[in-house]
Amino acid sequence: MEELKEKLKRILIDEIKIQGMTPADLKDDMPLFGDDGLGLDSLDAVELVVLVQKHFDVQIADMEEGKEAFASIASLANYIHQKKS
Amino acid sequence: MTQTPIAFISGASRGIGAAIALRLAAGGYDIWLNYHASHGPAQSLREQIEAMGRRCTLLSFDVADEAAVTAALDPLLDQAVPYAFIHNAGITRDGLLPMMGRDSWDQVLNTHLTGFFLMGRLISKAMLSKRQGRIIAIASVSGETGQAGQVNYAAAKAGLIGACKSLARELARRNILVNVVSPGLIATEMIKDLPLDKILPLVPLNRVGTVDEVSGVVEFLLGPAAGYITGQVIGVNGGLYM
Repeated sequence: MEELKEKLKRILIDEIKIQGMTPADLKDDMPLFGDDGLGLDSLDAVELVVLVQKHFDVQIADMEEGKEAFASIASLANYIHQKKS
Repeated sequence: MTQTPIAFISGASRGIGAAIALRLAAGGYDIWLNYHASHGPAQSLREQIEAMGRRCTLLSFDVADEAAVTAALDPLLDQAVPYAFIHNAGITRDGLLPMMGRDSWDQVLNTHLTGFFLMGRLISKAMLSKRQGRIIAIASVSGETGQAGQVNYAAAKAGLIGACKSLARELARRNILVNVVSPGLIATEMIKDLPLDKILPLVPLNRVGTVDEVSGVVEFLLGPAAGYITGQVIGVNGGLYM
């Protein structure tokens, strides 16, 4: 699971292009969306859906399902882990 | 754009679409060229584009067929993302509404509007990661003014205008610009049966336009000089609608 979370952090920095942060700055329970967290927006969510499918072969069918998974890095890692197991 | 940019053009085997393909190829774009049934003209276009030293990928599918759209575009989008998507595919099934068959309504709406949805959804998703791109829909003056006998066509073209304005707002923060080019009377097969002697007096420039006059506007909208233009409807109609 730790490896999965690290990979997600790398994806967020490299491919979603979060500015001014490194993977080490990202906390597992940090909200991905909103001003209290990483501040991702709705288009970032679409990109994240594409990236999760590309890197993990896990399809997030709709944004309603994605909303729960995208709460934090930890919840997204859990979601991917469950779908893969 | 360090790599050769790609322009994907739907409905590009003839008329305005073909002119756009040739102009963009001459301007340095590789072309993904969609057509439905006109294999001969599409093949000829490919030869002309390749003679310019550009690559041309022929994509034969019905833009309103979701499975066909996905089967054609998904594998390509895994390899490359077009810089530009120009939705030109269109058909007419004219007739007065009281006598219009359901097929005429569905076919026109599906080709123009559902086609834009199906292809635009895949391509815009791919463009997001590039943080750049240009999307252009070819509408029609009929979609702006209405036209007797074209309730289906005008509705589809007006729908494209609304869709593009909304999409322009959605994608602007990713530097993806979305605009509409709205031709009037252009010298193509589509106007060959129209009574031009009666219509031309309504056109201030008093002539039909050429496909090159439309493709030139498309090329401009893809270029750096149009970097601050999004959500606009650019009329190419000789003043028919102002």
